[in-house]
Amino acid sequence: MTAALTRPVRPRRRQLRAVLLVLPAVIPVAFVVIGGVGTTLLQSLGLMPLVGTAELSTAAFDDTDELLTSALLSISIAVVSTAIAAVIGFFTAVLIVSGNWGGRIVGALGAAAVTVPHLVGAATVGLLLSDSGVLARLFGVAPEAWPALVAGPTWFAVIAEYAWKESAFIALIIVGTLATRITSYDETAAVLGAHRFARLRLVLFPLAAPSLLVASAIAFAYTLGSYEVAWMLGQTYPEPLSVMALRLFNSASLSARPEAAAIGVITIVLTAVVVAAAMLGLRRMRAWR
Amino acid sequence: MPLRNPFRRPTATTVRRRILPVLATAAVTALALTACSAPTNAPRGPEFFDWSDVQVAADGQTVKLWMWGGDDQGNAYVDDVLAPAAAAQGVTLERVPIADTKDALNRVFTELQAGRNDDGAVDLVWINGDNFRTGKQADAWFCEWTGLLPNMTAVSATDPLLTEDFGTPVDGCEAPWHKAQFSFVYNSANVENPPTTIKGILDWAEANPGRFTYPAAPDFTGSAFLRSVLYSESGGYENVPSTFSDESFDELSPALFDRLEALAPSLWREGSTYPATSEQLTKLFADGEIDMMMTYGPATLTALVENGTLPATTRVLTVDDGTLGNASFFGIPSNSGNIAGAMVVANEALSVEQQVAKADPAVWGQFTVLDLDALSAADRELFDALPQSPVVPSFDVLSRNANPELSAEWVPALDEAWRTRIAAGQ
Repeated sequence: MTAALTRPVRPRRRQLRAVLLVLPAVIPVAFVVIGGVGTTLLQSLGLMPLVGTAELSTAAFDDTDELLTSALLSISIAVVSTAIAAVIGFFTAVLIVSGNWGGRIVGALGAAAVTVPHLVGAATVGLLLSDSGVLARLFGVAPEAWPALVAGPTWFAVIAEYAWKESAFIALIIVGTLATRITSYDETAAVLGAHRFARLRLVLFPLAAPSLLVASAIAFAYTLGSYEVAWMLGQTYPEPLSVMALRLFNSASLSARPEAAAIGVITIVLTAVVVAAAMLGLRRMRAWR
Repeated sequence: MPLRNPFRRPTATTVRRRILPVLATAAVTALALTACSAPTNAPRGPEFFDWSDVQVAADGQTVKLWMWGGDDQGNAYVDDVLAPAAAAQGVTLERVPIADTKDALNRVFTELQAGRNDDGAVDLVWINGDNFRTGKQADAWFCEWTGLLPNMTAVSATDPLLTEDFGTPVDGCEAPWHKAQFSFVYNSANVENPPTTIKGILDWAEANPGRFTYPAAPDFTGSAFLRSVLYSESGGYENVPSTFSDESFDELSPALFDRLEALAPSLWREGSTYPATSEQLTKLFADGEIDMMMTYGPATLTALVENGTLPATTRVLTVDDGTLGNASFFGIPSNSGNIAGAMVVANEALSVEQQVAKADPAVWGQFTVLDLDALSAADRELFDALPQSPVVPSFDVLSRNANPELSAEWVPALDEAWRTRIAAGQ
């Protein structure tokens, strides 16, 4: 405190300049985040009605049964697809950094997959896996005999799409961290007599773990919040939170907007909890320290 | 111990410094938010005395028409036929494709909430039904303008399809564009003796398990199917009061949902899921997974059969008890900055040339809103000379015994009940 007060003027001015320089970046982000989340919160509490008077109420959060079903479904989809993506992503990354011929092809495929928008990915997966899709035709299976992968009770197509796209994302993030320091550690371990599996377990995994965790947290947050894949490839009922929010937000009745905003708030809270847990986990990691 | 940058200041002061801008941003945002949360005071829009007034104001304006972009023929008609005609009158027409008409409405609402009152992004919307009603409730439409359009003289002033939009009085807040007829479609190769009533269609579906389904409400087509079955189960549209009331809903809807519940096991995938959109329904029909489907836009069928998307044996089913009919319109949001230009486009779209061009199945095949009896013999001739589609019967055959639409309040009530009873019941 005293140090701050007695500090000479010059560095202070420099600091002010630094703050001013960073403001153009901070203000828009803060405006969007605080503004967006704030508006959602206000709407969910009935304080921003389209018609009628603003009145504080938690009525939008009342339909607990349906919200609970949807929240559980959303979390299940996100957990399963992120877990699959994390495992595939990690091994893909290991393959890519191995630097051999196959690794390069996989790397190029992974980079290409990241550029495909989820909407296009969902349409592609739909065409591939649906009852009369490409795979069913390729194997000559009649639509009735083909398993209900798209819009079925297992949400297979939805999970497959997220797992595919996010595994490419996770793999590229891990490759980014591994690429710079893997060779020396890996070679040292090999010289000291570590076998492949031991190197994977004791060198590669600990080095990749922080970025694996961060990338998985991002993938989880994205999967929980995005709607288009679940909407295109999912079942009519029950709906994930995001699909329900969009349906209500677009609903013709003006009273449904607070309910849509309430689902938005719930989704934000769920995401925040998971991201916070991931950050705590990150702090405990040895490689990070 | 992590490495520390020796040139970095001790952490305590940096944290304190960082708080200031954050607080400032929070304050600015809070201010902006309170401005947003003020009640919406929808603007009234400009005043025009006569049509030449509008034409002068419209010259040089660019009109952004927000319309559902899922129909290639419709897109091509607007870009290649309507836009050049508007350009000839000094108005640039830009089409903004949207996935759902509600997107345009939501955009307008959000702008009004934020106080953007005279330069909104939406100048013209292709709209009808519950969207129109919702906009009217929120006071989002520019109103009492259709009387100024010279081409409105060729539109019947008493046609109930055009004076009321799903039970909501139009009140000059939207100008008619075309008429539509809800139609059932079947594959004549697989359905030898097509049913002739809606009841018959449901019986046929039960006799042929897995060959029929309908889009999940609140999809526009799926929701229209619910109303069709409601009419049929109630013994005709005369027995369903157009104005919504809880009493008539409680009295009439159980029969509808009992019937649909009994039907569900005979549907595609045993009714465990439903197509999310009418496009998905059309895809099932195109892939031969179902033999019967439905559409509120039979206009598009001719082209879909011609380009091979649908089988050549696709036919429209005319039912004795009649099907729902409606009209769709152009609405102008009250916060548009190009209201005069939008009026010129709406007027041009109502001209005989445009309505004839649009009615041609090769162009778009949309049914006209003009009163054919009020047209001159020469103009009428143009409509009579239109080529006949092999798939879709002419409008007078299709609209025989047409059922009026229910008031818009019925729509969300039926949709919601369908979700909780039928979709959730599986």
